[in-house]
This record gives sequence, C-alpha cells and structure tokens, in this order.
Amino acid sequence: MATPKAGIHGWGVYIPIYRLPLSDIAKIWGWHPDQYKGLAVESKAIAGPDEDSLTMGYEAAYNAIKRSKIEPKKISAIFFGTESKPYAVKPSATIIGEALGITPFTMASDLEFACRAASEGMRSLIGMAASGLIDYGLAIGSDTAQANPGDVLEFTAASGAAAFVIGRTSNASAIIEDSVTFVTDTPDFWRRASQPYPLHGEGFTGEPAYFYHIENAVKALLERNGLKPSDFDYAIFHQPNGKFPVKVGQDLGFNMDQMKDGLVTPMIGNTYNASALMGLARVLDKAKPGQKILLAPFGSGAGSDAYLITVTDEVENRKPLAPTVEDYLNRKVLIDYASYAKSRSIIHVIK
Amino acid sequence: MDLSISRFWRKKEIIYKLNGAKCKSCGKVHYPPKNACPYCGSRELELVELPRRGKLISYTTIYAIPEGARHQSPIYYGLIDLGVTKITAELTDIVNANSLKKDMEVEATLRKTQEDRDAGLIYYVLKFRPVLVQK
Amino acid sequence: MVVYVEGVGMTKIDRHYDYSLKDLAANAAFAAIEQAGGVDGIDYLVFSSSLSSLQDNQLDTASYLATSLGLRGIKALNVEAGEASGLAAISVAKSLLESHQADKVLVIGAEKLNEFVSSKVYKQLQMLYDGDTKSFYNIGFAGDAAILMRLYMDTYNVDRELMSYWPALMHSNAKENPYAMLNFAIKPDKVAKSQILADPITLLDSYPLGDGAAAIVLSNKDMSSSPLAKISAIESSTGYGSIELSEDPLLFDSLSEAFRRISNIADTSNLDFIEIHDSFTITAMIILETLGLANRGKAAELVSTGYFSPGGKGPLANPSGGLKARGHPLGATGVYQIAESSLQVANKFPGVKANNAKKGLVVSLNGLGSSSYVALVEGV
Repeated sequence: MATPKAGIHGWGVYIPIYRLPLSDIAKIWGWHPDQYKGLAVESKAIAGPDEDSLTMGYEAAYNAIKRSKIEPKKISAIFFGTESKPYAVKPSATIIGEALGITPFTMASDLEFACRAASEGMRSLIGMAASGLIDYGLAIGSDTAQANPGDVLEFTAASGAAAFVIGRTSNASAIIEDSVTFVTDTPDFWRRASQPYPLHGEGFTGEPAYFYHIENAVKALLERNGLKPSDFDYAIFHQPNGKFPVKVGQDLGFNMDQMKDGLVTPMIGNTYNASALMGLARVLDKAKPGQKILLAPFGSGAGSDAYLITVTDEVENRKPLAPTVEDYLNRKVLIDYASYAKSRSIIHVIK
Repeated sequence: MDLSISRFWRKKEIIYKLNGAKCKSCGKVHYPPKNACPYCGSRELELVELPRRGKLISYTTIYAIPEGARHQSPIYYGLIDLGVTKITAELTDIVNANSLKKDMEVEATLRKTQEDRDAGLIYYVLKFRPVLVQK
Repeated sequence: MVVYVEGVGMTKIDRHYDYSLKDLAANAAFAAIEQAGGVDGIDYLVFSSSLSSLQDNQLDTASYLATSLGLRGIKALNVEAGEASGLAAISVAKSLLESHQADKVLVIGAEKLNEFVSSKVYKQLQMLYDGDTKSFYNIGFAGDAAILMRLYMDTYNVDRELMSYWPALMHSNAKENPYAMLNFAIKPDKVAKSQILADPITLLDSYPLGDGAAAIVLSNKDMSSSPLAKISAIESSTGYGSIELSEDPLLFDSLSEAFRRISNIADTSNLDFIEIHDSFTITAMIILETLGLANRGKAAELVSTGYFSPGGKGPLANPSGGLKARGHPLGATGVYQIAESSLQVANKFPGVKANNAKKGLVVSLNGLGSSSYVALVEGV
C-alpha cells in the first residue's frame, strides 16, 4: 500500500515580544550563576499579560493561513495542541476558528500529549487530507509553558506558537512523504489535573524518554524509506533546551550544518508544543525547492513522531506572505523576573 | 459571574474580525455596525471587514485603571485611522509610553481583554500593536 | 414657555460616607422646599441619578424617594442621561409644567461616587461611553477624553501649560463656593505636575469623585409666588458621543445643534456668566469653542488672558468652580448648575458673583457629547 502523503500549504509562527534573561531566574532563586549555562539558552520568550496560548496560536494560525493562500472557510479541521489551555473545559480551537473565520463546518479540538500534541494533530491531518475527508486542516502548537517557579525547568519554559495548514499534495509548499509515531508509557514529566505546574524526573526526562523515543521514531522512518542522515538537508528535533537536540541529532548521525537552522530554543527557550514546529517553520523560511527535511517532535509521557518532508517549488511564493521566524526573533524587549511573574500569574492576586 | 455571556457572544463577529458597516446610501463606513448609518440614517448597510492596519491619530496611557485590569496596567489606548474609517482600540506590546507616536503604524491582533474573575469566561478582542514588519 | 425657580437646595459636595443617597437628596430637597414656601402644590418629583440604581440595588428610586421625603402620593419618575441627567431631568420637568401635567415640580439630582472603591467606580464610569465598543476594553473614565486632549493639543499646537489655566481658574472660583468639593486655589503650573490619570490628563485636569445632591422647585407662571429666577429656554440634542465616529471631534456636534436650537427660540447674546460641563480641561475648551465663545484652538489662550475670569471681558465662566472644582456628582451636576445660576441672577450666590447678572447659560452633556443640554437662566 502506498504511504498516504499530504502537503504543507502554509506555515506561521508567533513569538511574544518579551524576553527574560535566564540570569534573572538564577539570581531570584539562588541558583549558581552558571547553573543554566549547560542548557545553551540565554533568554526565554514570555507571553505578555494579555496573552495566552490561544492568542499566540491565533496569530501563528493567521500567518499560516496567509501563506496557504486559501480562504479560511476551506479549512475543515482545527487541532490545537497545548499543555497550557486557557480553559480546562471549553475548546480553544473553536475560539481560534471563529476569530479566523473558519467555523462552523469544522472539526475542532484541543489535543494534549505534553509537547507533541500539535504533532499528533499534524499526523491526523495527513491521514484526513490524504483520504479526502478534508481539503485542508490547521494544526497549531502553542504554549505559555508553565514551570514550577524555582524548578530547573523554569530556565527554559518559554512562550510561543507555530501553525501549519495541511492539505492534499497539489500546490503545497512542501510534501510530507512519510511519518512515524513511537509512544510508550514513560512517566518523565506530568501535570496532575488542577495543578498549575508540571513536575518531572530530572535526568529521567533524558535517556529513557527524550532520546529513546526520538531515536526509535527517526530510525524507523529512515529504515522504511531506505534513507540515511546524509540524505537530508535539514534535521529538526524537539528542543527542551539547546543541548538535547544537538546531542540526539549527532547520536543519529546528523551534523550541525543540517541542524543549525532548525534550532530556535537557544534564542527563546522551549516553547513546548511549538518547539520543534517552530524549527520547521524557520527551516521553511529558508529552504530551497527539492530539499529534504527530517522533523522529530517529542512529547513527555512519552512519544515522538518522525516526518520526512520534501520542499516544493511553491515554497518561494509563500515565504513573503507572512512574517518569518526571524521577524519575531528580532522583535524583543528584555524584562525582569517581576514582570514575568506578573504576566504569567505567578503572583497571586484576589480577583 | 459578573459579565454577560450572551452579550459578548453576540458581538464576536464584530470584535474578533473587525467587521464594520458600509452605508449603501452615503458610502461611509463605521465600526461597530449600528442599526442604521450614523451619518445619513439609511438602514441599507452591508458588513465590511476593515483593514487590520492603520495609523495612530492620537493615543493615551491610562493609569486610572478600572476593576479587573490591574495586571494589564498601564492601558494604552489609541484613535486609529484605518483609511476607510477611524476606530478606537486598546494598544498592546507597547514597550514604554514614550514609544507611542502620532502616525505610528499599528496592526490588529487577538488578545485577552477581560476575565470574569477566576472561574468565569475569558474575553478576547482585537487590540492593535506596532506593526511587526514594515510594508 | 418660561418656568420659574421657586427654591433651590444643595449639599456641599464631599466624601459623604455617613450619608446615604436619600439622606443627601433629603438635605437638598428640604432646603429647596423651604425656600419655595413649603410642600403645598408640589405634585411631581423628577429624580436624576446615573449610577445609584446600580450602586444601591434599587429601581424606581424616584417613587421610594418621594415616600421617604414625606411626599407619598405625588407623581414621580427617574431621569437618566449619564452625566447630563440633571439638566435632562429639569428639561423633563419643564415639559411637564408646559403640558400642564404638573403645576409644581421638585427636581432632585443625587449621586454618590464614593460608595465603592475607585477602580470599581472607574469601571462604572466607563458606562458613560459607547458600550458597543468601549465596554470590552479597560479604558476607565478618562481614556477617551485623554485621546481628545492630545488630538486638540496636536491639531492646534497648544502646549500643556496653556491648558492648565482652566483648572486654576476653576479652583480660584470654587474657593469662594461653600458647596464646592475642592475649595482651594492652585497655580497653573501645579496641574501638569499632578498625578497622571490618562496621559495627558492629570488629576487636576479631571473632576473629583464626589457625593452630593441638589434640588430645585420649579413652577409655571400661575403657581409662581416669589421666584428666584426663570428658565427661559432649554434645548438639547443627541450626537455621535464618540471621537472615532465624529468627522470633527474637536467640536461637540450635539452641543452645536442644541445651542443652535436654543438660539432660535431665545436671545443667547450678552451672557453675564456660563456654567459649563468641564468634566475635563479638554471638555471645557471644546465647549467654549463649540459655543463660539472662543475661536477654534484658541480657548486655552483666551482663558489664560483672564477673559473668562471674574472682571474679565467675556462672560464669567463657572463661578461655582465648575465640575472641575465644585465637583461632579454625575446625575446631580445639572441640578447644581441650575441652582447656582438661579442664585446668580437673584444676586444670592454665596461665592464668586457675576456683577448684576441677568442672564446665564448652562451647558451639560454626557461623555463626549452623546447628548447635550443647554438652558438659559434669567433674572425675574
């Protein structure tokens, strides 16, 4: 049976303007000043006081639809992947859909699988588009990325969003040739219901979780397509920090030239559901027709997807239609821990 | 719950999408749509989506903050020329009050405006921010 | 048709934590009734208030108030027109007299802006502006006026310091008014340095949050005995009430129309004084220019020259101290203005007096002119 294929028609991101230097976190919580240096991140993007995963996802999706050159009404499925939902019950996907002029004949739901929920949405859309169930669908990954204040996770937990319009292969900017998912029950990182922040198993998030799942997904993809790392122009991995994606890439046989353009976390921190997907957006901002991309998002709990993507001629027409990742990276203003604490509701107030 | 659920819900077409009304009689555009043209009284109106970019005509930084908005203080608020019509809207992503300038280019983006305390609804509206990419 | 002011009553505007809305209303009403010669013949109560039904959780306040004042059995109704409520109530009372629905009307305006904490009141005051757009934002009570003030200063190249002469004049006048909330003088240079509420509007550009009540007894000619004053005309108009809708926001279209209407039915020249709705410095400037009392863009300069000051060449502006310094308990303000103006033309005002005043113009409006009311008060 032929592998179902789908196309990426539009891509878009959103990064909030505010950046918190990690040195501020170290100072406030009494970490050694060099504590975070190994993470290879210097500052993280922080959503403003009037932002949440929904507003960020809206703008990323707005940009993706611009690049797709399709009418919003032609989108008939929205998957919103996040672990920082504004509502525990009430879909963010319907609000985004309404605001973008997509609804009402639309499948819409919020997905949860730690940092890979949006990727699950993408895989679903591939099947839905390839089968003809839908013409176009929207996958959004967006997070304000909570972390328990004072926890080491706080150094990297950042805010951002990425979105993709996925449809049939014709006239797409890139073709998703194949994809693989690999999941197991691995309790590396979790957040209980009604708790504001996630907890994690520190080093346990590494080998048994991040590395094990990504490596298995990627190897399976390479094997069944008869490809080797050198066949790719770009390789993008989930980026909980600046170090893990480089290590997993090197372990798999990729080099820095293939990985550097897809690395966004070193500039803005880990945007959770947008982490690897923002890397893909940044690569599409630069990629040339015919180039091959490996994408491997990861989510705790745990699972990884591996995608084989080929860029088409159409990509050049789409690049200028919306702001690039670079445009958002360049728009920044430094804030201090107090501003971050206020805008992320870390300070308890009586409403 | 303090805020009306249905009142906001009724307005979502207007507030999320910047839908104004164009008078078929005098041609003028206004926002948000009224039941008749405020300029000539004609009831022949058609919905039109307003441009999402405009220029600041005037602006203010508000420190006298109404209940429920302290965490967003100060509130930046502007009179914006969208070409076809003018609107007033909250401004966001303003790094400091001195960066506001007449004729500054701004664009619409969805943001939170009000929350009904801890357990009620969150209200989203279009606010305007300095343009990300100059055209 | 002309109606007569038989008596007036006012409370000092203040933070009246110890008095309820009805207490303040009674205080003003009993004084007005006494001056009018007693309750005999009073057959209608028109009650004006903006926020009290919301704040006191009370509807049909006028009826409950009538009974509370010992006037059970008279006819009563509420009038609400935001900040213009007081003059709107008097306009309704005048119509009742003219149509012989009433012979003697007690008009009471009462409001308490210190009944809740300030952030809640700012939110309530946001209701003065067009709820279709504004109520989903967090712009408080001064946002629109601030945008207008900057627009005015930019358009006419007027500097901040020149704008500050108005508040200083208002404080200077209020200092002599025993009913005024802010009865102290300020120098113009203090205005820009005071706390910023909504840049460029400062605390001293804005009205204070005050509690107060004013009352007047109005009658038609047949019932009149020894009136203080007559109201020779009242007119009003609705308008855009919105900077964004208005093609020329630096004039209030509703006021322009109301003034045109009153000028058609009464002689509005040779005004000895005016009592205008200076909720903010900018509102005063635009009113002066809309009325043609100053050239466009020149009101601030004209104020600074002393033209509207006691002894100046122009009509004396707000001898009461205006909304700025006398105070602005929303629904009561228009009633204060008429009460003060009646005392002026009767030469009985206990503050800054306009010399031999025979005629004064009262201007009240809501927000940025969603409605405007004008009244001509003359001596008898």
